[in-house]
Amino acid sequence: MNILTIPLRNTRRKWVKTLLLLVVFTLGVTSIVSLNYVSSVVGESLEKKLTAYGANILIMPKSEKLTVSYGGFSMGDMVLGVNDLSESEVVGAVETIELRERIAVVAPKLVSMAKVGGTAVGVVGVRWDKEQVLKGYWAVNGEFPTTDNGVVVGAKAASSLGVSPGSNLMLNDVLVTVSGVLMPTGSDDDSVVFASMSFAQAHFGTPDRVNFVEVAALCAGCPIEDIVAQIQAALPGTDIQALQSIVKQRMYSVNFVKQLILTVSLIILFIACCMVGVTMLSSVNERIKEIGLMRSLGFGRPSIFSIFCFEAMLIGSAAGIVGYLGGYALSLKILSMLDMAQGASPVFNAGHMALTGLLIVTVSVLSAFFPAWKASTVEPSEALIAL
Amino acid sequence: MLEAKNITKTFHSEGLNTYALVGVDLSVESGEFVSIVGRSGSGKTTFLNVLSTLLAPDSGEIVYKGEDVTAMTASRLNRLRQKDFAVVFQFHYLLPYLSAQENVLLPYMKGMGLVPKEARRRADLCLERVGLSGKGTKLPGHLSGGEQQRVAIARALVKESSVLFADEPTGNLDKVTGESIMDLLVDLKKDGLSIVMVTHDNEYAAMADRVVSMADGKIVETL
Repeated sequence: MNILTIPLRNTRRKWVKTLLLLVVFTLGVTSIVSLNYVSSVVGESLEKKLTAYGANILIMPKSEKLTVSYGGFSMGDMVLGVNDLSESEVVGAVETIELRERIAVVAPKLVSMAKVGGTAVGVVGVRWDKEQVLKGYWAVNGEFPTTDNGVVVGAKAASSLGVSPGSNLMLNDVLVTVSGVLMPTGSDDDSVVFASMSFAQAHFGTPDRVNFVEVAALCAGCPIEDIVAQIQAALPGTDIQALQSIVKQRMYSVNFVKQLILTVSLIILFIACCMVGVTMLSSVNERIKEIGLMRSLGFGRPSIFSIFCFEAMLIGSAAGIVGYLGGYALSLKILSMLDMAQGASPVFNAGHMALTGLLIVTVSVLSAFFPAWKASTVEPSEALIAL
Repeated sequence: MLEAKNITKTFHSEGLNTYALVGVDLSVESGEFVSIVGRSGSGKTTFLNVLSTLLAPDSGEIVYKGEDVTAMTASRLNRLRQKDFAVVFQFHYLLPYLSAQENVLLPYMKGMGLVPKEARRRADLCLERVGLSGKGTKLPGHLSGGEQQRVAIARALVKESSVLFADEPTGNLDKVTGESIMDLLVDLKKDGLSIVMVTHDNEYAAMADRVVSMADGKIVETL
């Protein structure tokens, strides 16, 4: 028996009132947790889907551009100090950054020119597995190559070269087979020929050399600037560009969902807090004589204050734990019902549960602050004596 | 041991001043039983509340063991209420969700520390003293009015206070139960407890060592 016996017994005696308050608060926490789980999973899923629409970080060799003119005659820009990148070095470095979990795909490119008959055409060496992840929107008439000398030709290039799936063509002096023709994309991809990286490096460059590397990063959990800074630190001799407009477009959709859920969560939490505050206030008014009696027995203001705060803490901790578990279960149900968790799933986290519990306890105690303070200011003379 | 010096108290309500206490003096010796009688509105309950520190006087001093109670800090006053002074009200004011024993132990439940075993033993002894042996586990709702008042007295006794203030302790009880409560108070006085009791009942008042009569906020007679 100690001071905690008083709120414990009181909540047990007024079990209907306590239960109702607990149910309301738990429902609030359940809603908030489930909404946040759903938003997190949907955001992650959405971002994974959006990642299929291209890269958002570009890694290029460091270069300096010099505008050359002489006697009023402009000779255009000269690019100085351009060195190719080492594919293994770049890919290896990106895999070592702290935020590597946020990297969805690293797709190196080697761009060169070749002649097909008398026509010049751009040849882009790619890693097929990476490229297909990066450009999930690609649709191919035919199939992606399974051999080194297979190529995929962009729609415009195929038209100008007069090739179709199954055709053979000479890239410089090398015979290749057109495995597939890309459906029009409306981008530069329509005008080039895609070959495997090993083929391109063997015939148009040097082994392990690439011109640039495209990276698709998931930015739900961190700003793109952090990822860029970490890659830059790992690859000091390169230029790293975040394609902010792409990132912003992607994050807008994700953040919109998150902000909406955050707003709804805050409203629910506010209403739940009001419920706790109002219930506690009515409890103080009901128990004014009890408070007066305790004060007459030598209970100080902090003791009275703590009795009501502890009641709120009891309700908050129960609502926090039950609400979290309920919210997690509800989020699983919602995601399975709406079929929205493609590529992502909610992960139960005991640490999150403890933090949520702590947050809810803090919020419920804060909600009870005014009623508890009011209770602590009761004087025995006001409560017990009929003047 | 306890002395009231020139106590005044005025209540203000709706523009009217009610002079409840007008320069009241009283001294209570250790182990003395003083009863205060008077008509309704004579100021006796107000005086008891001022003496027991539940109500602050407008002026005057309450001196307990040489210390001015009216000048005490809140924490010192809390300690005084917890240790030295005990109050029994006309209405027992038991917490309905605590058992009789827990109600008796309430003064020990103001902190996080557990109630010591010695206090529990004392609570059982106090309940036995007021004739409620074996009823410690009962909730107040399962006790009669007289038994509830006895629990309230046991709650006042458990702290081994020096002064017991009783405000109409028999006011809500039948004759037989009231007499048993008075017998209990007389026994407690014999054990050395100082008692200040407010009552309407002259028969019960006469059981005290001294009877103080009040009228219009003043002591008008001491017998």
